[in-house]
Amino acid sequence: MAAAGGGWAAVCEKFRTARTLSAVESRKDPETEPYRSKYSARALLQEVKQLLSAAEEGGEARLLAVRRAVLEYELGVNHTDTEELSAGEEHLQRCTQLLEPHRLSPDCVSLYIQAQNNLGILWSERDEIKTAQTYLESAEALYNQYMKEDGNPPLDPSEHFMAEEDKLTDQERSKRFEKAYTHTLYYLAQVYQHLEMIEKAAQYCHTTLKRQLEYCGYYPVEWALNAATLSQYYLSKQCFMESRHCLAAASVIFSQAEQVPSAEDNETEQDQQDLRQRKAEIARCWIKYCLNLLQSARKLLEDNIGELDPDRQLELKAQRKKEEDEKEKGRKKAVLFGTSDICDSVLAMEEKVSSVYPLDFQEAREIFLVGQNYVQEAKEFFQVDGYVTDHIEIVQDHSALFKVLAFFEEDYERRCKMHKRRIDMLEPIYADLNPQYYLLISRQLQFELADTYYEMMDLKVAIGNRLEELDSHTIKKINSLAQLAIKYYELFLDSLRNPDKVFPEELEEDVLRPAMVAKFHIARLYGKLITSDSKKQLENMQTSLEYYTFLVDYCEKYPDAVRAIETELELSKEMVGLLPTRMERLRAKLCPFI
Amino acid sequence: MASETVKVIVRCRPMNEREKALGCKAVVSTESTRGQCFLQNPTAAGEPPKQFTFDGAYYQEHNTEQIYNEIAYPLVEGVTEGYNGTIFAYGQTGSGKSFTMQGVVDPPTQKGIIPRALEHIFESVQCAENAKFLVRASYLEIYNEDIRDLLGADTKQKLELKEHPEKGVYVKGLSLHTVHSVLQCEQIMETGWRNRAVGYTLMNKDSSRSHSIFTVNMEIYTVDERGQDHLRAAKLNLVDLAGSERQSKTGATGERLKEATKINLSLSALGNVISALVDGRCRHIPYRDSKLTRLLQDSLGGNTKTLMVACLSPADNNYDESLSTLRYANRAKNIKNKPCINEDPKDALLREYQEEIKKLKAILAEQMGANNLSAKPAPLLKPQLDLETEKQLIREEYEKRLAQLKASYEAEQASRARLEEDISSLRNHYDLKLSALEENLRKEAGTLCPSFFLFPVSLTSFPRQDQPGPTL
Repeated sequence: MAAAGGGWAAVCEKFRTARTLSAVESRKDPETEPYRSKYSARALLQEVKQLLSAAEEGGEARLLAVRRAVLEYELGVNHTDTEELSAGEEHLQRCTQLLEPHRLSPDCVSLYIQAQNNLGILWSERDEIKTAQTYLESAEALYNQYMKEDGNPPLDPSEHFMAEEDKLTDQERSKRFEKAYTHTLYYLAQVYQHLEMIEKAAQYCHTTLKRQLEYCGYYPVEWALNAATLSQYYLSKQCFMESRHCLAAASVIFSQAEQVPSAEDNETEQDQQDLRQRKAEIARCWIKYCLNLLQSARKLLEDNIGELDPDRQLELKAQRKKEEDEKEKGRKKAVLFGTSDICDSVLAMEEKVSSVYPLDFQEAREIFLVGQNYVQEAKEFFQVDGYVTDHIEIVQDHSALFKVLAFFEEDYERRCKMHKRRIDMLEPIYADLNPQYYLLISRQLQFELADTYYEMMDLKVAIGNRLEELDSHTIKKINSLAQLAIKYYELFLDSLRNPDKVFPEELEEDVLRPAMVAKFHIARLYGKLITSDSKKQLENMQTSLEYYTFLVDYCEKYPDAVRAIETELELSKEMVGLLPTRMERLRAKLCPFI
Repeated sequence: MASETVKVIVRCRPMNEREKALGCKAVVSTESTRGQCFLQNPTAAGEPPKQFTFDGAYYQEHNTEQIYNEIAYPLVEGVTEGYNGTIFAYGQTGSGKSFTMQGVVDPPTQKGIIPRALEHIFESVQCAENAKFLVRASYLEIYNEDIRDLLGADTKQKLELKEHPEKGVYVKGLSLHTVHSVLQCEQIMETGWRNRAVGYTLMNKDSSRSHSIFTVNMEIYTVDERGQDHLRAAKLNLVDLAGSERQSKTGATGERLKEATKINLSLSALGNVISALVDGRCRHIPYRDSKLTRLLQDSLGGNTKTLMVACLSPADNNYDESLSTLRYANRAKNIKNKPCINEDPKDALLREYQEEIKKLKAILAEQMGANNLSAKPAPLLKPQLDLETEKQLIREEYEKRLAQLKASYEAEQASRARLEEDISSLRNHYDLKLSALEENLRKEAGTLCPSFFLFPVSLTSFPRQDQPGPTL
């Protein structure tokens, strides 16, 4: 060996120092010179390269080529890190060229994969995602080929500049190699995301998480939060089993982090606070799980007027029986997390809540209760004072849980009580909110309160219709609920006014539909008010007509608006045609001259 | 109207001396009348230039005064009226951000947007009658997701972002400084500017590695003619985003505003990657918003006007950066921080309503079918219209006769009782006629008046006997 003896030891030492500078020291660089250590590392690497060239003649060609490749790789990464992309690319290309013939041998495969990874990153920096994809996919393919053909833990690139006695154990080699490959998959996940291959991106994220767990390369809290976030992706795909699996794993891994007291006992108040916040975040992901599961079930079960369809219910129950056997298969299809030691805990966690659609009140209630528990847990951290937006979002979810549970409730009185619970949680929050800073949330609350009162009124009407005759108490109740619904719709509409209190001539796109729906609902609510005074009734009808007319006139003036409220417009047109007739009829009953 | 929320303009500076010396070619051109900006790829001369359209595109023939008057003026005017306003500056270092925002003293037409905005605000403060103003300024920076007070006693102290139902989003412990003049404001800004974290790299000598926000808070106190007092608050945020070239490596914390086409190197950003896959408001995304987004949450939607100024260098050697800036600006056009109104997409009430109308239509169609059978095609609503006319006629006749009666009775000064009796009988007579007419119609249509379906409660369940009778 040409560079044997003291010379080689010095070379190795320089190389080691460069790596330390680059990986460790650079983090301590002052803000004013963020690349100081990287630049020093670069200088050292170039020295090593020169020493190597000097020793070139007479050396073993293959060994030298591989060592040069290692240096080219390090220099390539160094240049990319310091925003010198073109130089970085040249070094990395030279590295892969040198390795090309030996890329499947154990002393080269890891370096080759890492070089490909970095070329992928480099091209992504240039917005050339397709090129990045090519490099990363070829790295992925190389890993698979190597594992199939050889599979022994390959050398780590740093070992090429190490004394024989310092060489790594097989276990360490394997760990580093697998880590490089995990990065390949992680970068591919990002590439697929940018190429809008979302499903594939999610699959690669899932695999990345799985591998982190297998090779112990993770921080429990961070891992748990990522798994919980991935559960939300599965929710959007209606994959409840996968979603629950992610959440259960998140909770299990998180609780491990909670149990292990931090190595040093100087955990700060801030760390405690962060931990509590993360726990609350996972709880919020669980809330969404419960909510989405209930809402999806509702969609399956409802008939064309939004009530539970009993035929559909029977049908789905029968179907579920049949599918029970196939469930096992689906189970295996999901990518399961974890080694056997956490598997049992995850399974136990999963058993606490169903992942199949609830088909009756009892089943829905169980999911509701789990969700409600997580609401309490999340609210413990996200208190209104300090976390207004988060707190309200949680309360809105709580309200939504009640709303969907009410769907499964057959008894109208009890259903009404559930909506009353929604009112009781939303109204005080709304009252305390300054619309100047929380305009959007404030509008959401106005709308939801209005809708809830509306729903309650409709229920009272339905209850009343079952009676022989409406008693005055029920009439009063119906009217007051309708008035409250109107009040909140009007508050919503008022929020659209400009500072001079003028309602906008033309509505902005994002409020167009809600504003129109509010007008439409108010129109209908005025039609529902009950009064024994015909004059009053006539007045209500007139008001109702005015609101319907607003919709019709507005759409005539701004035909673009039609798309947003097609159905409501059609109905309003009919009403504008029909109402005057009815009013005329009523008017005839009154003596106009008296 | 919708474009009111976020306006985006680009400004390309002239070639500088260094670029001229290097023999750079210009690859940026603009079509200002249409707000278009074109970028020619220098390595692919045959390709047509990439085209972008914004709310404004400015080049060397325009000065800051023009830009201010056309775009920024209405926004700042809004602030003096109680709206929140936000102006972002974005672009590669050396692309003219500071020139646009801070500007130069000479020539006066190139005075920056910031001093102009401040002058504008203080002018309106001085001109206003019957109003008192309190103007306060704060200056903070976000460096690697840590918030620091650039005007505070300790500029390295990390501050917490908090929310209050009444006060909105606030930075706990951020110092507020009352200012009375433009000069005072500028002095404060100068102080803060010097405290910013500025990095040194071989590529860029003073690439800023942090976002900074200078905020002018205005409280406007007025007393109206009735002696009632009103307090309005508005703020103007002047945001300097971190240099675009640093963004891929600085804050790796799920920042939505930032360049998104790069790959995150560190697995610690896996959460961001996963978050980006999740959409829809029915899902929860932990740590979804960066500090910057959260701080500006009430500035990016609702009662706020936002202007983004993207700055470009014309030189071909900055092609990649310019493209990235333009792409970013293009995305900014669609920035929306508007959680939409929670409305059931399939509104059950609506469908119930539709159901009712459907029934009604079925009935009407049936009726039309019957007419067709008897070979007497009639327009859909004809029976109703006939009824309407007939009713009208009856009523008119009734009123005419009534008036006659009244007149004659008054003339004769006949007894009140007699009048009442006659009116009552007259009324009964016409009521009979009216109900007979309706009865006929009902038989004809085989149904009730359509509106009965729509108002089941008010008509069917309502105790009719309470109907007020005629009294005199």
